[in-house]
Amino acid sequence: MRHRLVEIGEAYALVGLIGVMALFFSIYGPTADLFPTTSNLKVLVAQQAVIAVVAMAALVPLIAGEWELSVGANAGLSSIFVASALSGGMPVPLAIGVGLGIGLAVGVFNALIVTTLRVEAVIPTLGTATILTGIVTAKTGGLAIVSDIPTSVTDFGSGTWAGIPRTAVTMVAVALLVYYLLAYTPLGRYLYALGSNRSAATLVGINLRWTLFSSFVIAGVLAGFAGALQVARAGGGNPGVGESFTLPALAAAFLSAASIKPGRYNVGGTLVAIFFLAVLNNGLNLAGAPNYVSDLVNGSALIVGIGLSAVLGRRRATA
Amino acid sequence: MANELAQDQSGGSPRRPNPGPAAAAIEVEDLRKSYGATEALKGISFQVEPGEIQALLGGNGCGKSTTIKILAGVVGGDAGRIRVGEKEIDARHVAPSQARALGLRFVHQQPAVFPMQSVAENIALGYEFPRGPLGTIRWRQVRKRAQEIADRFELDLDVTQPTATLRPANQAMVAIVRALQDLDELHRAVLVLDEPTAALPNEEVSTLLDAVKKYASQGLAVLFVTHRLEEVLEIAHSATVMRDGLITSVLGQDEITHDSLVEGIVGSTVDRTRSRQNRASLEGEPLVSVKGISGGRLSDVSFELRKGEIVGIAGLLGSGRSSLLRTLFGLTPWSEGEVVLDGESVRFGGPKEAIRSGIAYVPEDRAKDAVFNRMSVNENISMVTTGEYWRAGWMRGREEKRDTQGLMERFGIKAPGDAAAIGALSGGNQQKVMIVRWIRKPLKLLLLDEPTQGVDVGARTEIFDAINQAAAEGTSVLMVSSEYEELTLVCSRILVMRGGRLVSEVLDPSSDVLELERAVHRKGEGDEATND
Repeated sequence: MRHRLVEIGEAYALVGLIGVMALFFSIYGPTADLFPTTSNLKVLVAQQAVIAVVAMAALVPLIAGEWELSVGANAGLSSIFVASALSGGMPVPLAIGVGLGIGLAVGVFNALIVTTLRVEAVIPTLGTATILTGIVTAKTGGLAIVSDIPTSVTDFGSGTWAGIPRTAVTMVAVALLVYYLLAYTPLGRYLYALGSNRSAATLVGINLRWTLFSSFVIAGVLAGFAGALQVARAGGGNPGVGESFTLPALAAAFLSAASIKPGRYNVGGTLVAIFFLAVLNNGLNLAGAPNYVSDLVNGSALIVGIGLSAVLGRRRATA
Repeated sequence: MANELAQDQSGGSPRRPNPGPAAAAIEVEDLRKSYGATEALKGISFQVEPGEIQALLGGNGCGKSTTIKILAGVVGGDAGRIRVGEKEIDARHVAPSQARALGLRFVHQQPAVFPMQSVAENIALGYEFPRGPLGTIRWRQVRKRAQEIADRFELDLDVTQPTATLRPANQAMVAIVRALQDLDELHRAVLVLDEPTAALPNEEVSTLLDAVKKYASQGLAVLFVTHRLEEVLEIAHSATVMRDGLITSVLGQDEITHDSLVEGIVGSTVDRTRSRQNRASLEGEPLVSVKGISGGRLSDVSFELRKGEIVGIAGLLGSGRSSLLRTLFGLTPWSEGEVVLDGESVRFGGPKEAIRSGIAYVPEDRAKDAVFNRMSVNENISMVTTGEYWRAGWMRGREEKRDTQGLMERFGIKAPGDAAAIGALSGGNQQKVMIVRWIRKPLKLLLLDEPTQGVDVGARTEIFDAINQAAAEGTSVLMVSSEYEELTLVCSRILVMRGGRLVSEVLDPSSDVLELERAVHRKGEGDEATND
């Protein structure tokens, strides 16, 4: 058995790294004046809220061993329809309902494909993502929907509670909900069981199809909610936004296995990964790095994330 | 006569009674191998002569697989020499290419043919694809060469056929021919066949055996590993029998009989210190009645289990013993017959329904079908009962943990803690978790498939204790095992299966393991239906 301190060190290594990076950007010349300001940190935190919710959506099926690639596009679709509904004068709660409904519908669509055709999710959800992107373009003609968004909505997106961005509070609430689902319900346990050994899961009486179905529906609803949150954040619907969510969200979901509970995809690890990427991208951005650098960072994070989760998972299997 | 060489701990070399005049095709001397503290081979020596078909037999864990792995260069031995022709190599480091260069050829249990590819492609895959100047494959040449090889080995088939369309025996033959294709002189080569007939239906077996005989008559030395004693009787010129890492008997052709083989396999050193379940104490109505079920591999299987009774099932691989357990657990449907559980006729659409009726199943392949890797001991042990900790919208984690710790203590599960990953436990402790997962709550019927496979001796006793505890609480137990000694130690009676049928029942297992082994191997009615 490894030493307890080593285990703790491993679980919080990424958290420590965030601290080190934050410290670096706070004293490093080109960013020292910009990075540690309240306004920058608020933006940094608020910006991550939507991506974090999308990452939660990717996390749930990922735990069951399924790679859901349409969560970003789903959130994008939802944001477009919510923005359009709001600018058409629909009451806010109803518009949020539209977003959740779209997410739910996409989730059920994916769930049906995976459970009835019995295929792995990665390719069909790539198909779903492409279809959704097409629908977004058809609906918007490539133009953003920004007119007549009620101020109550935009206020929520830019406002704070006790100095903390409201979107960030929302993100924490969603994270707690997903944490509850994974750690305090049998469904959560069964999702991990599916991700571990499907044959054994069947033989202990776990309903494989129902469990998988639920994971995609949950992912869909979360992505739909992320879309509504995005409207509040951005004050409208941008047709390109969905695609930009997919990669960092998946990278964070994979990287979640590298911290808090190493070797296991988890909610805390997802949030740590999100802010790890955010601090890194934000700092580099302030330091004057060109925009394409964030692509390099996110892409590398995805590769490192899947690699680390595989290595740590294998080690957890035997240690 | 047959057993005089048994128990030779010094590692001396039991020789064949009448070594022929010709030099041995392969000679193995004092081969030793340990895995950790377990001695798999304690110094064995044997030789096979050109043109000889030598059977290599023994029960599970006797060391014959290790022997073959060392010969093939898959694992290194700890000591020993292997002589092939004039060349001698050190058994500690045999490279697969070296074994091949010496003329050793291996064909394993599942003939590794690629079913969707043609015979010609399969043959070329074991050798090389002739290439054109641009690196493209010369398909005509591939086919021509494959046809020549097929003809040389008297394999009557069209090499352009997809291999899957061949009858099973011919598919196995393609694997053999592929292994032998580049040998010009068969009398300088050694073919090792590792249970080549295990995956074949009975009616296909003789075709394969005839071909093996034919190649041997051309001088090929054959080392033939099998569980089927009839095959040994039919084709072997000699038999080497192993047990516990030693050669227990070396039999010439005229000494090979059912009894001499069985005696060598089973031995007579059975420890009978454990007390078996007393059958007379099991009163009352049967808890489980299986009435003539057929379907899948099973045909007309009937038996009854009383409450708390532990019944064993013995049979060879493919006899239907695992199918029976899987059928009772709702994994494969039965077409005819009836299963009555506690007075009620039942029929399951899947494991979930079987579980709800109080049936549990511990599968044979622990890693593949039972263990939740990367999850904790706690999660593994409560996977069946997870729902019971879910009350008022909350998993009662502390209660679950306390129960797990209690179970670990009660059943002697050794682990760094309840939160330790299941993979950190030894095989025996993992298996205890797999069984305790079910027996922690009252069951009606517990189905166990090879419950002590890959488990060390100490843990075995604890697993038996766990099974006995479950039985004492009124659970009927149906247990499949290849280790007949084990069955005789635990079970009140033993059902013998062959060809999907129950062919006999041993009511007093304490009498004789040999008797049981004979019952399992005996040829008789029921065999014609074997379509393993």
